[in-house]
Amino acid sequence: MRLLKAMMALQAEEGAVTDAALQDLARQERVPLYRLQGLRSFFPVFRERASESRQLEVCRDVVCRMAAGGDPVKQAGELLAGRDDIQIRPVSCLGQCDRAPAAMLDHVPVRGDTAALRELAGGHGPTPMPVQPGSRAWPTDPYDSQDSQYATVGALAREGRPDDVIQALKDAGLRGLGGAAFPTGMKWDFTRRAAGETKYVICNADESEPGTFKDRMILEELPHLVIEGMLIGAWVIGARQGIIYLRHEYVQARQQLQAAIADAHHLGLLGPDAFGPDQGFELEVFVSPGGYIMGEETALLEALEDRRGEPRNKPPFPTTSGLRGQPTLINNVETFAAVPVICTRGADWWASQGAGEHKGLKFVSVSGDVAEPGVHCVPWGTTAREVLDRCGGIAGGRRLKAYSPGGASTSFLPPDKLDTPLDFEAMQSAGSALGTGAMVFVGEGRDLLDVTLAQLRFFRNESCGKCVPCRIGSHKAVEMVEQARRGASAVPPGSLEALHQTLARTSICGLGQVALLPLVDALRSFPDEPSLNPLRGEQA
Amino acid sequence: MSKERITLNIDGQSVTVPPGTTLWDAAASLGIEIPALCHDPRLQPVGVCRLCVVDTGERNLAASCVRVCEAGMDVQTASGELEAHRRTLVELLLSDQPEQSMRERTTGDDALYALARRYGITDVRFPDGAADAPRGHDDSSPVIVVDHQACILCDRCVRACDEIQHNDVITRTGKGHTARIAFDLDQPMGESSCVSCGECVAACPTGALTHKALNGLRVEEGV
Repeated sequence: MRLLKAMMALQAEEGAVTDAALQDLARQERVPLYRLQGLRSFFPVFRERASESRQLEVCRDVVCRMAAGGDPVKQAGELLAGRDDIQIRPVSCLGQCDRAPAAMLDHVPVRGDTAALRELAGGHGPTPMPVQPGSRAWPTDPYDSQDSQYATVGALAREGRPDDVIQALKDAGLRGLGGAAFPTGMKWDFTRRAAGETKYVICNADESEPGTFKDRMILEELPHLVIEGMLIGAWVIGARQGIIYLRHEYVQARQQLQAAIADAHHLGLLGPDAFGPDQGFELEVFVSPGGYIMGEETALLEALEDRRGEPRNKPPFPTTSGLRGQPTLINNVETFAAVPVICTRGADWWASQGAGEHKGLKFVSVSGDVAEPGVHCVPWGTTAREVLDRCGGIAGGRRLKAYSPGGASTSFLPPDKLDTPLDFEAMQSAGSALGTGAMVFVGEGRDLLDVTLAQLRFFRNESCGKCVPCRIGSHKAVEMVEQARRGASAVPPGSLEALHQTLARTSICGLGQVALLPLVDALRSFPDEPSLNPLRGEQA
Repeated sequence: MSKERITLNIDGQSVTVPPGTTLWDAAASLGIEIPALCHDPRLQPVGVCRLCVVDTGERNLAASCVRVCEAGMDVQTASGELEAHRRTLVELLLSDQPEQSMRERTTGDDALYALARRYGITDVRFPDGAADAPRGHDDSSPVIVVDHQACILCDRCVRACDEIQHNDVITRTGKGHTARIAFDLDQPMGESSCVSCGECVAACPTGALTHKALNGLRVEEGV
């Protein structure tokens, strides 16, 4: 973390990480120059030279593209023509899909819609993102006042047994809510039993998949539950150090987290005697230098070890060999935040919160063509139709064309699958996946090729480049689809499907494995969609 | 050293190996050669070219150069599916290659072209990357010429420079499809701390790093 922290500090202070600064850093830290170049060129926050102009970072991904009705970056360029003092840079999803189109002006989240950009062009703006009301009551928060917070970990540390916590998580059926759905109790059990002098607990707060913003909301409104979940995890596995790996774009979440960590310190829950005399636990926020791939847990570990964020070959898994080769418990924000209420009210209570035979509660991010996008906490087993109704249906009274239940990596489903319950297995049977619960609804009249191509471009843009199938395959797929769409050249029959199979089976990590999935599946699930015809070797 | 031994099956043959042995090495001990571009037994394996993937019956295929043998594994190193993926991977790499490989033209041992011959690839289904986005040459070094277009990012030069020579000069720079190799803080090779030892040229499987003299380029005197 030393090198990246030093480079982040340079970037913040000087507006760049220059060659001269890296030569100094290499001497101070006794590392070769090439290593610093590898880092500077890999992470998007770093600049080689400081810029005099203001920086407007415009989200180019699917939900913002839908909201803008075209390429948001191109639109911003047109609206800000003549403002040479503002430099526009396309960036990947900012996690503000409920307030699309989104942008950041000099690292402050702002609205990126036409009205806001006109204001900015006229010298007024920025129109800052509205801050969410922080006083909503969420059903996964067992505390009705600030005074009662952290009661769960306090009681556990006094008189609880770690194995009981693991059993409760298993009985509750809690699974990783960052998309991978690995059984949480089992992960905690593996890490607790793994041999290692030092163990770590890490919260993956690097949510970056287009359509996903529920972790941002949890971090902003329920940071105490994330911290308490990590404290319980640390106590169960025997960790003395915790890290929250946070994406740098979550400026407001960072403020809330830092304040909550300061509170926890003040209460003595963090620090040298966290779990009793000389049983300390320290927790810090590590701000990511950027990139979707950092949410892949081993890429995240590489970054924490001051290397390029390229996923590791697995096994070994982090439960036995994680940060610095030590057993490491890594869970998503929502997963940690669910732990306190399960420990306090019990696995039976958690199970009873689900609909029908389903267990528990799930935060979903809803965006796209819905009347009221936002985050909702719903019972597991709620149907996609019920979620859509909660959000006021499709905006403008249009009909639904397609929806993606889980984020950019999950396939779009047609309207006849709208009664599918939110559940890992049910969504899989329906032909998609629940992913992170990032539901993107697409109304009639949209071009499904444009939507799925935006997803494909996202994965191409965010590929780390380590392995051949993902690095080259995602790029060639984008080129093939763009050429077919322009009518420049046809896609050889079956070649996208074959390419998808190679990426799915041979890529090192999940990014390459799913990069072509939404597009290839759309060809199958939407046989009558005219926009996809160029990929079928037919006229558009 | 532990006396423990691990027994597994590779292509129907039983093999017993010490703990920590990779599938690639275990297969080699049976005389089974698994194709690879990024792997060089002298270097720490990285598993990035994915040509050496094998089927262990798990959800995803495993890169045999990095995957360690486990007792009772039943591994397939060749099948219709595996060969199809290897062929696609070779085709992807070929689609970005320059018109002529400097290694194939000189020493004639370009490992990528050898695989292309093995798989009988004459036509490439993917868009030509060399024509659209030429990545350029660097002939600033006194003795070595870099053809970025021929580089497949196998990491062999990076590791050879670090692990064998301890010169610590080469990195991957950039990210995704625009990534390439670079020297120090992305200096031209001839202006970097490179000492022209030639280890990277020896390690490179393609025409990305070759000797200038063989290519008819002028080698500077006094080096």
